[in-house]
Amino acid sequence: MPNTTINYAQLLETNNLMQITTDETYWLCVTRTVQESKLFPVPSYMMLSYLMAYYRYPSLLRKIEGRMSAEEIGDRARNMGMKIQNPAMGWALPGFYLLGREWLINMGLLRPTDAIEDLIYVMDFWKRFQLSYHRNDGHRTNKEFGHRNQAMPERRLQVFHADMYDCEQGDELHEAAQSFMATVSQYGFLVSCESRISLHNHGPYKIGEDREMIVRDFMDLGECDWPWLDDVAEGVEYNNLTLTMAVKDAHFYLVDDWGSFEAEPEFTADKLVGVGLYTSDNISEGHIPVGMGSREELIETLKKLDGQIREATEKLWRRIAGWSRDQMIDAGAITYFAICKDLAHVAGVYDPEDWVMVDERAERFRPLLNDEFARDALGELVGLVSHPSQQVMDYTMAMHSNNPTRMYSNIPYSVLSGEPFTASSGPVYPGASHLNPKKDVYTTTRGKLSLEEYNRISREFVPELCQPKFQHLCDTWVKYHADTDLARELYETEQKNSRVLKGKGAGLRRDDVEALRKG
Amino acid sequence: MAKLYVDSDKFGSNSASPTVDAFHSAIKDIVRRKLDESGHPWEKFVFDTSYDLITAEDMAQVEKLLLDAGHKFDWSAAISPKERPEIYKPAEGVSEEDIANFSFEHEEAVVAEADGEGREQRGQGDNVARYPENCQGTARYIRSPALVLKYLEEGVPPDTIAVIDDSGGTLTAPILEQFKGVICAGGSTRSHLGILTREYGVPCVMNAKISGIRQGDTVMIECTADPKTAADYQKNVERTAKVWRLKKAD
Repeated sequence: MPNTTINYAQLLETNNLMQITTDETYWLCVTRTVQESKLFPVPSYMMLSYLMAYYRYPSLLRKIEGRMSAEEIGDRARNMGMKIQNPAMGWALPGFYLLGREWLINMGLLRPTDAIEDLIYVMDFWKRFQLSYHRNDGHRTNKEFGHRNQAMPERRLQVFHADMYDCEQGDELHEAAQSFMATVSQYGFLVSCESRISLHNHGPYKIGEDREMIVRDFMDLGECDWPWLDDVAEGVEYNNLTLTMAVKDAHFYLVDDWGSFEAEPEFTADKLVGVGLYTSDNISEGHIPVGMGSREELIETLKKLDGQIREATEKLWRRIAGWSRDQMIDAGAITYFAICKDLAHVAGVYDPEDWVMVDERAERFRPLLNDEFARDALGELVGLVSHPSQQVMDYTMAMHSNNPTRMYSNIPYSVLSGEPFTASSGPVYPGASHLNPKKDVYTTTRGKLSLEEYNRISREFVPELCQPKFQHLCDTWVKYHADTDLARELYETEQKNSRVLKGKGAGLRRDDVEALRKG
Repeated sequence: MAKLYVDSDKFGSNSASPTVDAFHSAIKDIVRRKLDESGHPWEKFVFDTSYDLITAEDMAQVEKLLLDAGHKFDWSAAISPKERPEIYKPAEGVSEEDIANFSFEHEEAVVAEADGEGREQRGQGDNVARYPENCQGTARYIRSPALVLKYLEEGVPPDTIAVIDDSGGTLTAPILEQFKGVICAGGSTRSHLGILTREYGVPCVMNAKISGIRQGDTVMIECTADPKTAADYQKNVERTAKVWRLKKAD
């Protein structure tokens, strides 16, 4: 038995965090259909990715925290639209790890008592990141907030609100924005091998009595970490784009932990009444306006980006259509497994060997992954919840289903009273991939960088708004100190790139912003 | 033979899917055997010894057990039967040669005689978004990347209503915008294809249950019907749009 300091409180909390993830995963999965594709063997790559996550996440998260804590990365995540938003961190990080664990238990290759220190650590990392990322709304997940995500502070929301351009159905900006959103959404699905993890929405934010704002992030669009975007996405100027969207006469009653939204009445094109556009990453000073100098400039920018992405879509589709099944599985599994790889970018420790390779321990199971087995095994894991390990006592009524099931096996408390257990699944093992090696080009807000440059800048750079001076100046502090020099400095730092709010300081309320916007 | 932790399970027994159950049973047999052979306690076996002893070759043997018993697997991605036709059920309706005689046949498709306007109902689906007019066009099945590539090279024929059973957004990514409408035999209005057709303003019914619609038929989608919402799915509300055939292909 390992020499360990695991205690009762840790196990209680870990099992609780797993249950939180269980409840939301079930809800998310049953309100969608099983995702199949004629192009990608989706369930096959998903199942492989879960094993990759199980074997590697504990070591990779420890490596990241060797340079930067989960809660500090959470602060950074709030300051940009990079792929460590809620779908990656609120759901996928614990979900993929736990799904891998559960599948291994059902193959007899793992006991619920195995790798307990890893499990406690992964869930604790998740909790700390989520508490930090969601610090403004005070929740750990969107589900806890009734399926809502209000991660952003007032100062950032005021800039987004102020700088949006009005549009209405039929005008040129409305058409350009609609077309861009369709094009980039479709490209996002293709880049992410049929999954929606290039896309994220958060909000809603109330910007008027009859209107709400949704902030839409489109991520990993250019030549980035994915080897399959090398060359084909050479002409895509921005790796991450954030589109702010004002919607009139519709209430977004649901923004789930996958970042998908639902509105009542239904959100239709005619309800889109305002847009803004930004880019960001871990080495930018927050969100940088893109084409926001004038309405005309924004229209032209959206059209230009639309064209860049259409071209990349066709090139990428042709590349993928020529892939072998193993290449498709690798790309999909890597996309899923590496959904949280931007944690490593923020910490400046990103290594393609860590994130875009299939670990040899997971690779052993590839021969199982024909379409039928993978579909059924996945469906049982997340939809039917019918694997033997997922069955619990007959009196149980699970949230949502009322069935005697639990998606993820608890750690038995008996490990505290002598039942044998193991601590860790071990270090990162070597990996391999059927894909072409990654070109040493990474599209960032500072241009195209080599990995060495990118990691170096990431390690050195702290955004101004994340400096110790400002880090803990939350909205509660602002509420009582808006008239201070420090608050003015905080807000004016945020407002540096704002067309409407530059130099306006900390005293404005929402209606003041609206008045200035209408100016 | 070694006993595994999961061999004593008060509440769980088999997986629901016979295929999964067969695979998992065979894997557990391998684990028991290798654990015995290793002579190691579980705590040493699980993360050290087993990495060398449980191999990809073992997993390949698991699949072979079912194949030797005469099982053929269902396929979903076109690449799968293309690379290993010997293990999958035959792929139909994926090539230009067999597409002329192919049709989706759903046992719950509602069919009816032609109405006063000559519209013969051949099924129904979940309307993604409401449009002012119903959508009329020519049915064309799209079930393979090869066909998408052909349309990408030659352009999608005018007035094509794509008949698809892939609810994803990638198969038809480079040509979706060119469709006049989409009839999708899978998914829901919240699936990727549903999301994208709404973004592009292409009329679409998802989860379509249709029968007898062949390549080249003139069809109409009732996209003036109420869309099916997330709440409808959660509450099992039946809300569908009709799919009509107006004319058979020549």
